[in-house]
Amino acid sequence: MTTRDIVLIALFAAIMIVLGLLPPVTLGFIPVPITAQSLGPMLAGCILGARRGAISMLLFLLLVAIGLPVLSGGRGGLAVFAGPTAGYIIGWACGAYVCGLIAQRFVREGQNEIAQLAAFVAAAFAGGVLVVYLFGLAWLSYATGNAFLPAVIASATFLPGDLIKVGIAALAGRAVLAGYPLLPQRA
Amino acid sequence: MLNGLDIEGDSLLHRMPVRGKLALLFLTAILLFLTSDLRILVPALALSSGLYLSTRIGPGEAWRRVRFVLFTVLLVAAANYFLQSPLEGFATFCRLSTLVLIAAAVTATTGISAFMDEIARLLAPLERLGLVRAADVSLAVGLAIRFVPEILARYGEIVAAHKARGLPVRPLTLLVPLIILTLKDADMIAMAIDARGFRRH
Repeated sequence: MTTRDIVLIALFAAIMIVLGLLPPVTLGFIPVPITAQSLGPMLAGCILGARRGAISMLLFLLLVAIGLPVLSGGRGGLAVFAGPTAGYIIGWACGAYVCGLIAQRFVREGQNEIAQLAAFVAAAFAGGVLVVYLFGLAWLSYATGNAFLPAVIASATFLPGDLIKVGIAALAGRAVLAGYPLLPQRA
Repeated sequence: MLNGLDIEGDSLLHRMPVRGKLALLFLTAILLFLTSDLRILVPALALSSGLYLSTRIGPGEAWRRVRFVLFTVLLVAAANYFLQSPLEGFATFCRLSTLVLIAAAVTATTGISAFMDEIARLLAPLERLGLVRAADVSLAVGLAIRFVPEILARYGEIVAAHKARGLPVRPLTLLVPLIILTLKDADMIAMAIDARGFRRH
């Protein structure tokens, strides 16, 4: 791992912290306020690729664990990992990895725009939604005994917001690839 | 601008070594999930609240820190109360709240640098296998904390640029310049780090 990779990973973790400092947005047609932070794993995977993206999420989780209030709403510390929703944030690291793997496999620089965008959407959805929900729901159902079905239904309220984030992450991933490509230089 | 969540003091937890505190946390986590007996779980909850408050954090701050997590615990416990049995609901509430309070107590009594030292020590076996370098982890943590104010200032500039052009601030027109401008610094920073020989091999 080169020094540049380490710096990229650290800078992305810092971007993640800044995303958590931004106030949550409420869109008219969805009742749940959207925080920018869960965009992080999708962006990390789409922009930095699998390995660096996942490590930058792990670094962010380390910052949470050592007691920096860097999660949205100024939360932090080990208590976050003890709560019933810990699976979602642990899923961010794995989600970024899966997102990066798909993006690296299917996105090429010379492709036309639509194909690139479609690949980024698939990557962000698989990594940032499917994998993250898988971890989140698995931990939730373990922590609660087995109230699994209501947990699935409750987390569905976040789905519309997350689908919007998939779109934003895919568009941002494509724009960053055009402006400052990092994805193809696999480390 | 980024301060840790630790509080100065000299309570029992403050004086305990970091490794001891983490071991305590993991051990209680395992033990709590082995039992559903309220005769054990209720005293455990009382004990952990006592432990948390013994860090001299003050009730207001103590509550502000754990209220969000405790709210999610309450939701989960309510689901168990109605779907499983009232007993299971209470057990879930006590079990998860106890864990949350002990974790919050460990965070309140452990400084960032003490934590980083312990992490470096825990990484030592992995370092011997050649998987990670503890120095690199410390470097990355330092860099991330160092650059938050910079990125936040850049965010302010991008918002100002939007306003100057009479454009609405949209997530996409905000994120893309923020990310590109930030990551473009990586080359300069990496060169500066290598020029100073921070990462000797």
